Amino acid sequence: MDDYQTEEETVFVVEEVSKIIKESIEAVIGGNAYQHSRVNHWTTSVVEQCLSQLSKLGKPFKYIVTCIIMQKNGAGLQTASACFWDNNTDGSCAVRWENKSMYCIASVFGLAI
Amino acid sequence: MEEYNSGDEVVFSADEATSSVKECIEGVIGGTEYNQSKVNQWTASIVEHSLTHLVKQGRPFKYIVNCTIMQKSGAGLHTANSCYWDTATDGSCTVRWENRTMYCVVSVFAVAVPL
Repeated sequence: MDDYQTEEETVFVVEEVSKIIKESIEAVIGGNAYQHSRVNHWTTSVVEQCLSQLSKLGKPFKYIVTCIIMQKNGAGLQTASACFWDNNTDGSCAVRWENKSMYCIASVFGLAI
Repeated sequence: MEEYNSGDEVVFSADEATSSVKECIEGVIGGTEYNQSKVNQWTASIVEHSLTHLVKQGRPFKYIVNCTIMQKSGAGLHTANSCYWDTATDGSCTVRWENRTMYCVVSVFAVAVPL
């Protein structure tokens, strides 16, 4: 891998991914109130939309996208992640979003091939 | 690191990972009640211990371990994962655990490293 012009294509760019996640969340649940019957579909849509936008970037990465939607009713929620990867090329990005009735946390992990 | 003659060393073993993760969860929060001031440490310990166990197996994988702990109070929680990878070699496993006061969900994702 000595062609350093393309080095930027093999580094995980957090801002770009963060934008993709925010847009996917807004598109799927922006303006909606928590609804038990629909939330299953929402989490699936958020991760699928993120993933298809990410694969369109055409970078040599494998991706893992996770999404958590929680109803607001006073419960405490804590999440943590640990990763064993190549710090030079791999990265992650987590976006926290909320509205009046629910929280949404979406994370993307990108691993260079 | 060249003796990968047995093909099954490059395939993620979900069962092994599941039992390893269950032990880690039990070790950290087994027998405790939801405690807001400690939950931060708990999630960090669970992911660290799980990751350490996985890495010790010495397989050619990159790992991501995710842990979520939620207090039981009637709220609804939904999680989803989607992965863009090589389905022949990569894999994941999710462990759901609960006690009287909280739920714990741990997911492990393993991505093969090209040799």
